[in-house]
Amino acid sequence: MSRAPSTLVGLATDVSSDPIVAWRAWTLTGPRDGSAVLLRPVATRARTWKPRETVEASCRASPWHDAPDPSCTCGLHGTHGLEILRKTRCPAVLGRVALWGRVVEHEHGYRAQFAYPQRLRLICQFCFWMSGPRKTSPELVGWFARDQLVPMCDEHLAVAARNGVFPRHLLPAAGVAQRLLDTYAVDALAV
Amino acid sequence: MDIGQPKRIIEITPATLPVPGEIEPHGEPERETRPARAPEPEPTPASPE
Repeated sequence: MSRAPSTLVGLATDVSSDPIVAWRAWTLTGPRDGSAVLLRPVATRARTWKPRETVEASCRASPWHDAPDPSCTCGLHGTHGLEILRKTRCPAVLGRVALWGRVVEHEHGYRAQFAYPQRLRLICQFCFWMSGPRKTSPELVGWFARDQLVPMCDEHLAVAARNGVFPRHLLPAAGVAQRLLDTYAVDALAV
Repeated sequence: MDIGQPKRIIEITPATLPVPGEIEPHGEPERETRPARAPEPEPTPASPE
């Protein structure tokens, strides 16, 4: 049974048959050997996105409404532009995501009921924060506690080491990137 | 991440899902179809006592 959105009043509703394609960033998770890599939302404790399956939104704040609810912040997020994603906490993957179902459009992006990635690429989060997407080309992926995978360029890997941050294991970024594309059956993002 | 104020709602039902290997779109679940109920028989006038 479908739960009613709490506040639909005041927002215009349009109907479409074309999914919206927006920008999005994820973290990356996988075992030490990088044999299985999965996208995970940057939100703490969020569930991984299952490969080759539609991702459906749910609201952890309220079980009483469907996600996305116009008066909540729930739903699967995407953004109009890239710049806003530079404020994302610890992004490892940048990409284009298809959104459909009920979609709430905001000033700077969307919250959707259903989503699936369309194009993906690994990014060095430090390069992305400082210079944007075009100057980020990670050579290695560090494996950290809780199976967190962090792509990094050589320069920022060295900076991390100077500050006492050492990955427990390092993997070639090219191999992890290809495994990610194969896992979700999508193409590489060219930025 | 602050994506600003909500502007509108879009109800999107794609003809083809943008998910490798999935075909059926996620729309409203189909309603169960039941055969039309047979009309009630006209009540017969009660026989006089």
